[in-house]
Amino acid sequence: MTEEPTKAAPEFFHRLKVLVVEDSAEMRRLLDALLRSMGIEHVILAQDGEGGLAAFAAERPDIIITDGSMKPMDGYEMTRRIRASDRGADANPDVPILMISGHVDRAFVTHARDQGVTDYLVKPLLADMLYKAIIAATSTPIHFVEKPGYRGPSPRRSLDARLPEPPFR
Amino acid sequence: MKHSKIGSRLAGHETDGNENPTEVRFVRVPSIAERKLGSEYVAPMRLDPRILDQMQATIRSLETKYVETLSAQVSMLKVLVEPACKGDAEAHGRLYAIAHDVRGLAGTFGFAVTGRFADSLCRHLEQGDKSGKYDDTVIRYHVDAICDTLESPGTDSTISTETLDALEKLIAANRESMRAAG
Repeated sequence: MTEEPTKAAPEFFHRLKVLVVEDSAEMRRLLDALLRSMGIEHVILAQDGEGGLAAFAAERPDIIITDGSMKPMDGYEMTRRIRASDRGADANPDVPILMISGHVDRAFVTHARDQGVTDYLVKPLLADMLYKAIIAATSTPIHFVEKPGYRGPSPRRSLDARLPEPPFR
Repeated sequence: MKHSKIGSRLAGHETDGNENPTEVRFVRVPSIAERKLGSEYVAPMRLDPRILDQMQATIRSLETKYVETLSAQVSMLKVLVEPACKGDAEAHGRLYAIAHDVRGLAGTFGFAVTGRFADSLCRHLEQGDKSGKYDDTVIRYHVDAICDTLESPGTDSTISTETLDALEKLIAANRESMRAAG
């Protein structure tokens, strides 16, 4: 970690709007509190993929943080719909989607990437992991691809899960 | 928003045999920080230790409430384990939901070993969801181990690790026997 923080960061977080899609009330509460402690005042909460899509269309957040496994609509399907190019105004190719999941298996990470997830964080959620992922997603130029049926981060790119340090894993 | 589009020559790297390369485009847009802050933004954005401290203080402030929740969840696991092992689908679903919750949060609040046992239990149940077969003994051992981490918090971490390894081996052996049985 660098010693000198940029002066822009507090003001930036103040202007950021974040959508949290999470079915666990405890995890929603934790994410809400962590984001607010970063200085993010605009936090929108949804309980599953359907609610997430509705909130996304209504609020146009700058970034989405979503759980993977939810019912009835999970985070993978929600992401697929957001990246589907035939959904008109509801689609968005460049909004960063950070998925937080308990599944560490490569197949889940690959599936998430293929749906258009930007970054994949493995539970348990740790403060530094979330903070670094948000900085990475919001402070660098965004590249995406457009092809029939899909507009989003390249499904061919390498995506490695962010893993908690031992003893958490 | 300024979009720059690069045409088909580069896009060819993105395609497989079924896609027409000319239909794939790369697009680059400014970062969210650039869009929000304009000329105020000076890249790169650096991590601010003060913000991280605030986040960790937030976790500490929620810890007492979480310990109460975790205790209630573990008590519920004890209630659910027998009906779940006897085929009660609702109990089984609730047991998984609780284990999933514990897997996600226990480590955040310092209960790393509890979270790892819950993770192992979830993976066993997910494996069973695919095959339709569950080893009840494995489920019971996991619930016992989760309870033990809370009831005997000072347990040597070596013992916990060994228990976890033993459970992983049991799951692996169980998976093999199910595979052999078809």
